[in-house]
Amino acid sequence: MDGQGLRLQAFLRRFFRPAGDPNLARINRRRTMFSFIARRMTVLKLSLFIAGYVWIFSVPSSQLDRGVYFDENALQPGQVNTYWNWKEVHDADHFLGELEILRDSNATSEQRSQFIMSEFLRIGLPASTQNYEFTGLPKGLNGTNVYAILRSPRVSGAEATIISASWISRVNEGDGTLNLRGVATVLALSRFVKQYSLWARDIIFIIGDGYMEGMQAWLSAYHGVTQSNLRAQRLELTSGVVWTALNIDYPGHSLSHLGIFHEGLNGRLPNQDLLNSFQHISRRTGVPVVLYDHKDELDLGWLPDNIRNHPEIKTYAAQARNLWRHVRYQASGRGSGVHGLFHQYRIDAFTIFAVPAAGPHGFHSLGRIIESTLRTTNNLLERLHASFFFYLLTSYDRFVKIGNYLPSVILISVAMMFGGLQVWVDAAWMERRHDKHEEGSTGMVWIRRRRPVLEAVSIVLGTHILGAACFFVLSHKWYQSLPFTSPLLWVAAYILPLAVPRFFPQNITDNVAPLSLVLKAFNLCLSSTVISIISVLNFSLAACLAVALGIPLSVASSSSNGAMGMVRYTMYIVLGFGWLLLDETRKQMIWDWDILGVWLLPFLCVVYYPLSLQAALVCII
Amino acid sequence: MRLPSLSLFLLLYFLLSSCDASSQHTNNWAVLVCSSRYWFNYRHMANALGMYRTVKRLGIPDSNIILMLADDAACNSRNKFAGSVYANPGRHLDLYGENIEVDYRGYEVTVENFLRLVGRLSSSVPRSKRLLTDSSSNIFIYLTGHGGNEFLKFQDNEEVSAHDIADAFHQMYEGGRYNEIFFMVDTCQANSMYSKFYSPGILATGSSVVGENSYSHENDYDIGVAVIDSYTHYVLEYMEKVNKTSRLTMADLFTSYDVPKIGSHPGVRSDLFERPLGPGNPNHPMSEYGRGRGWTVEGGGEWMGREIEAGKNGRVLRETLITDFFGGVVDVDVNNEDDAELRLFEDPECISTPKAPLSPSTNTYSSPPSSRSSSSLLDTLDTYPLLRPSLAFILLGALFVLVFSGMTSGRS
Repeated sequence: MDGQGLRLQAFLRRFFRPAGDPNLARINRRRTMFSFIARRMTVLKLSLFIAGYVWIFSVPSSQLDRGVYFDENALQPGQVNTYWNWKEVHDADHFLGELEILRDSNATSEQRSQFIMSEFLRIGLPASTQNYEFTGLPKGLNGTNVYAILRSPRVSGAEATIISASWISRVNEGDGTLNLRGVATVLALSRFVKQYSLWARDIIFIIGDGYMEGMQAWLSAYHGVTQSNLRAQRLELTSGVVWTALNIDYPGHSLSHLGIFHEGLNGRLPNQDLLNSFQHISRRTGVPVVLYDHKDELDLGWLPDNIRNHPEIKTYAAQARNLWRHVRYQASGRGSGVHGLFHQYRIDAFTIFAVPAAGPHGFHSLGRIIESTLRTTNNLLERLHASFFFYLLTSYDRFVKIGNYLPSVILISVAMMFGGLQVWVDAAWMERRHDKHEEGSTGMVWIRRRRPVLEAVSIVLGTHILGAACFFVLSHKWYQSLPFTSPLLWVAAYILPLAVPRFFPQNITDNVAPLSLVLKAFNLCLSSTVISIISVLNFSLAACLAVALGIPLSVASSSSNGAMGMVRYTMYIVLGFGWLLLDETRKQMIWDWDILGVWLLPFLCVVYYPLSLQAALVCII
Repeated sequence: MRLPSLSLFLLLYFLLSSCDASSQHTNNWAVLVCSSRYWFNYRHMANALGMYRTVKRLGIPDSNIILMLADDAACNSRNKFAGSVYANPGRHLDLYGENIEVDYRGYEVTVENFLRLVGRLSSSVPRSKRLLTDSSSNIFIYLTGHGGNEFLKFQDNEEVSAHDIADAFHQMYEGGRYNEIFFMVDTCQANSMYSKFYSPGILATGSSVVGENSYSHENDYDIGVAVIDSYTHYVLEYMEKVNKTSRLTMADLFTSYDVPKIGSHPGVRSDLFERPLGPGNPNHPMSEYGRGRGWTVEGGGEWMGREIEAGKNGRVLRETLITDFFGGVVDVDVNNEDDAELRLFEDPECISTPKAPLSPSTNTYSSPPSSRSSSSLLDTLDTYPLLRPSLAFILLGALFVLVFSGMTSGRS
């Protein structure tokens, strides 16, 4: 070792193991470190915030993502000859014709399901129907699902794969466009795959009634889950554990691209290997793949030409659009389609969406791709487990790994936590003029004061209880049947907390810290914790929370001016509870909670609204 | 009349035949192992079955083949052609055909069972699952599966290491359970598998050098998976040229390795092996093994024992034929039979005094009690070189007289 190295070593040793009492040295070192951090707390906080926000907004850039790849050896995608041919296309056309007749004759769902069941039976598959009804809704919601099971010819049916189509397509989140071609594809496919004896697991064909509700009823019955407002018939035919599911959505006349919709309920995602296999197969077959239905380029006409045509900017814009769509689906918790329902039962599923177009593809290409994908899932030896469950797809063949997106939100959360701890420490100390003018000191001393923890905790608990009460009212069945409930609830949620300052009168003394400081400390620490936890469960929701709450909660402060305080109070309540006044959003959320069990409504009521209410109270206490 | 003439003839035959130390094996065995399971490893089963077909075609009977298949690809529910295993995309030849004897199947294929099979013998195991070799057995051992540096994965949960196999082989050597071993392995980094051998009489070859993958050869798009590995495919292709009486040597086999086709760099290890790999012709391409066209890895092909190969040709040993390992014994030299032939029918564990396998055996083909006396006589013969031809001359004359007298007496 050279002289310099030795010197460095000696320095390090002196630094870490100075002479004297090692414990004392350690305590001193720790104290130095803490004071170093504490003195620069504001800078640290600010830089964490800036880093976090910059990171969030750079997630769509091409620097953070990478190409997708297969991780599961068993899949072997696209290595089979496909035999789906014009005969099967003819079958599909035939089924489509029959379905169109049913549609034109305004057949009830009972008649439809009887027809589809008879077709399954004619093909030679055991088939059955399932009636279901969701109760306790203003409008009745019922229907009939049809399903058929192809028993695995050579092994026991301990596992199953599902091929499904819902009666209503996912166009505009189930606006009523019928998925006739999707249903016809499933029927023709059932006839086609029955010819082969190489299926290593049962294949279940399901035609779900409605958009999401039919499949929800079927899956609940299949897995023996009871839902208090659901009356579903027991399934006559059952099979084994379902590993994968393909949902087929073909609303148009022809298709130009196949779109991938993959977000599940409450932020769950399917294993990426499934999506990768599909897009690989589809592109090999010759059909281009897109994420969602984004086949057109984003219109950036408002940008100057030289910026607009820069490849990096173009990529960023396209990927940001995909990610924004993803964040909306994932944060809302309702997922992006029927496939999302499967994820609750740990079934990897996604929707193959035939993007409507004048051509050039149709049943022929779609059938081949599904056949090949089915062969690939048939190769699985165990559940999909390799690859990724945590990812952001920025494009059909590129994704951001968890390590490249999670820190953005965590940084903001850490900044909030530091802010909260700083407020907590500040609340305990007060600078006061020295009484005795001895010893020629500067005249200022720090004195310790009591922090009103109990009061702050009861306020925090109270806000959450109020949130829970709001949720109870919102989810009650007569909430939607009575008029003006939402404005009334909003006003109640606005007025009731105003009574809080009366319960905790502030007697400003030097011995007790102001309640608002302690409340703010609690609020920031709690929000930070919530964001960190949510970030691994539902990253999009956590990112939305970080953006919505990060800076606003950190700048909350009490105001001596009463009017100013009320303005701030109102702003925080609007931030926290404003969504209640958006009619469509509220109705959708209530429906999602009632029918599908989406967690967004209770989360907003019990966690999000109380957090912003606490910040609002900080302003007026 | 006929009996004495026959015995005389046999004695004469033995005396006249040259004392060739090299071709002393009297039986051939093959151990073929596919160590990986699962449908997507179809090709490994096809590898092993391809080898099975070849050794069987070249004359090793099922009783002398131990076939270990870790999975049953033929009966996998994903197999579109149920009950068949094919190793080529056209599906011309069903390797799982009509006459397959799988000795270890499925979860029986474990590291423990493999090492017990090779290294030890337990009388509690059925005879069909035992490697009943002796000191004059030539054994062909073929392994395929997923491997790495000095290990081969069995099933999906355990590995056999190169040390384990080396020790097992040495145990065989100590027990006098082989004459020569030809070890072939097709996995990723296969050449590391034979790097730890230390027992004499082992010739080894592998598909790829350390740090290199071994690749699959072709897919069948109806079966939906790769059907055979590249190295094995080209070895089997070469083997199609070999028949039971072929004089092709191991050197010919090794020089047939074509790196651009195989996709990896096969290696050879012959430093433990006594006999020359091919005819002692310095122009034979074997002398340039691993240096020709296509060998791109640093240092060319790996051949442990390249230096001592030239020295082997100076001795009287016969070159190594492919059929020494891949076939049954077609031209048995009677003089080299020792009581091993008889031992075959006894329980091998009862052998009390195993002999060193490489010592030249000099026993007549006669019953055990008389063998002792005759061996002492033969020792004298070996000591006096002129005695043998003169004795032969006398015996030949006696035989001639006998036959002639028989003919004359028959006429009269």
